[in-house]
Amino acid sequence: MTGNQKQPVDPPLAGVRVLDLADERGIYGSKLLADLGASTIRLESSHDDGLRKRGPLNKNGESLWYSYYASNRVVIEIDTESDHGITQLKKLVSKADIIIDTGIVNSITSTEFNLNDLNSKVVHVDVSSFGQNGPWKDFLAPDLIAGALGGSVAATGDINTTPIKLFGDQSFLVSGTYAAIAALTGLYDSYETGLGGRIDIPVHETIASTLEHVLMFALYPGFFPWADGKVLPRRGSLHWGNAYEVVPAIGGSIMVTPTPNVEKQIAWLVEEQVEEDLLDERYTALEHRQEFVKRIMTVLRKWVATKDAESFFHEAQSRHYPFGLVMKPNEVANNPHLKERNWWKEYPTENSVAKGPGDPYKFSRSVLNKPAKQITFTSLSENILNTIGWV
Amino acid sequence: MAELPFNGLRVLDFTHVLAGPYSTRILGDLGADVVKIMSEARHGPDGGTSSPYHAMWNRSKRVLQLDMTQPDARLICADLCNEADIVIDNFSPGVLDRWGIGYQVTAIENPSVIYIQMSGMGDSGPWSSYVSFAPTVHALAGLTYLTGVPGREDIGIGFSYNDHQSGLHGTVALLAALIERRKSGLGQRIELSQFEVGTTFNAPALLDFFANESITGPSGNELPFDQAAPHNCYPCLGTDRWIAIAIMSDDQWTRLIEKMGTPDWATGPSLAHVTGRLKNQTFIDQRISEWTQSRIAEDLMTLLQSNGVPAGVVQTGEDLVDNDPQLASSNFIFEYANEHPTLGKISGDRLPLHFEGTLIDKYSRPEIFGESNRQILKDWLDMTDDDINSNIQSGLIR
Repeated sequence: MTGNQKQPVDPPLAGVRVLDLADERGIYGSKLLADLGASTIRLESSHDDGLRKRGPLNKNGESLWYSYYASNRVVIEIDTESDHGITQLKKLVSKADIIIDTGIVNSITSTEFNLNDLNSKVVHVDVSSFGQNGPWKDFLAPDLIAGALGGSVAATGDINTTPIKLFGDQSFLVSGTYAAIAALTGLYDSYETGLGGRIDIPVHETIASTLEHVLMFALYPGFFPWADGKVLPRRGSLHWGNAYEVVPAIGGSIMVTPTPNVEKQIAWLVEEQVEEDLLDERYTALEHRQEFVKRIMTVLRKWVATKDAESFFHEAQSRHYPFGLVMKPNEVANNPHLKERNWWKEYPTENSVAKGPGDPYKFSRSVLNKPAKQITFTSLSENILNTIGWV
Repeated sequence: MAELPFNGLRVLDFTHVLAGPYSTRILGDLGADVVKIMSEARHGPDGGTSSPYHAMWNRSKRVLQLDMTQPDARLICADLCNEADIVIDNFSPGVLDRWGIGYQVTAIENPSVIYIQMSGMGDSGPWSSYVSFAPTVHALAGLTYLTGVPGREDIGIGFSYNDHQSGLHGTVALLAALIERRKSGLGQRIELSQFEVGTTFNAPALLDFFANESITGPSGNELPFDQAAPHNCYPCLGTDRWIAIAIMSDDQWTRLIEKMGTPDWATGPSLAHVTGRLKNQTFIDQRISEWTQSRIAEDLMTLLQSNGVPAGVVQTGEDLVDNDPQLASSNFIFEYANEHPTLGKISGDRLPLHFEGTLIDKYSRPEIFGESNRQILKDWLDMTDDDINSNIQSGLIR
């Protein structure tokens, strides 16, 4: 053990002050920072903030969605359209290190509200659907529209379905994660330079940046003969490289692939005497590579169909094949690996406790706190600022 | 911000395929000196430095070609680790330890170093030795099951979403550790599980199961937990052209049917409220499809958005690169200033972060094997030409 690991320390962002002014497009960024230990104040216009009503709800009618995405926040209700509200907001801005925003600051028309004058060190991350300029800057884009215009929807589904959106608010989980990256980058820089500044994040660009092969097929036309020009038509789970696909087994479905070690995969097929013609020498020629990939996927599909899904998945993994069992939410919730890693977290609500995903990372020295119960104040006072350490 | 924020930060990159390279691409775009260790003999599933896939995720880095099967190459790596601010890998647990360059060893000489390991399953637990690519994680985390249509399990997300998200979350964790290091002066090791990253994205379904024992299923383009209708993709004129329409309020419904010419079927009180529309979704979707299928998707989008109706063309990669006026207005797709030695003139997509006062618009193109070997060893280890020539002769590097 090195000296670095003897004493667990506070969460990595302990002492960092974040002002969360975000809707769905940025709230996940605030969550990441808050869960990493940042002291995070969320401003809401009233107790009826729309996000507090988002499903799913628990049996008390409380939003489980909100309990998770607004974790570790102190909530203060401020009317940013009133002079009193602007005065309170100015006070918070003057003490913040980071603002995660989705357009609130821009909407304030008061000439006395100038971020740079109030706090030249503050990092202002502004997540918008399309950015501050351009022909679509005023377009409305809830998750489905963001995914459609961003390119994720066209790549999902198959010839027998419409294009399909990703489950949940995935578009905004991408922009939210980018918001956290922007905030910490800006903070790192402000420590060096003494200056904060504004960072714009168009949701649209973040989605277009995270499409794996989609831009590659458009930017490298001709490299992939199975493309339709610059586009690979949506085709269910069949991966763009043709070597990963979800196939039916007995009692479930499994994602199978002969990669990364095709020889090893063939050896297993030979062991089971189901290799068919895969040992044919012509498949070793580079020009027959794609034909071979299709052939081995056909053989795998036929073979896997005879196997019990769950036990076959574990057998494959015991041999270090990256196969994956298709799991439903209840199966994920009861996953023995996550259970043994003590991964799930409890998120206190007003009258109950929700259970949900934990953090996707662990730090060897810094300890991440358990989510604290959200506290809501109906106005800002010096007492509150003292209580939460924003003095 | 006058200079790039991470100028001077040294990142040693042992990653491959997409998740790790996407993280180090971001750090490199932001100014870090990212040195990617690669072996020509064992370059992994991303096809080597002349593949478009490698080129997509490995700009803003320099490539050091080392044969890690040789013990002396690992000694060079140990020296590089001692000079690094960040060491990143997405191998299965234990690979760097076996090479003698794991965190515990490096931290003795370099206590401020931050390591992150982005393995599939994390260090511990009964599945810790399980291996994965993004499609594996999609399946195990529930993403494949939940993204699709009822009755099918073989759709899922059509691209390696979780690889990108693992890279993004790895970057968040690294930056948090860098912020912490300013106070403590010490680095640490971060363990990231790509499976756990993927599982967080199904949070609503998992929260619902734990609270209500309700098992969420795939629901196509409908929202499983929120009331919105119509909310779907509709066919348009042309081959496989679609428009997405997402009516999130009764007011937007009124605006939609106004642009449709206020047809009789849509004006009854039963559809005025979302409850009635949810009961009649199939009927409504059919009527909207009849209206959209003879129209151009782009024209429909402009028509509907101009009336406050959320609508968007279902854009393909070709649309994004060639036809998207919004991306064109921010020069999102750009051509690298220098030609790639084997791929020729190539283009990429900009970092989607716009810093006030600092235009991040210069990206070094992806390198090929060995391109910066000599300069990296001089910059990081102060090696002389004689030292480098000796290592070349012994086959450690080229």
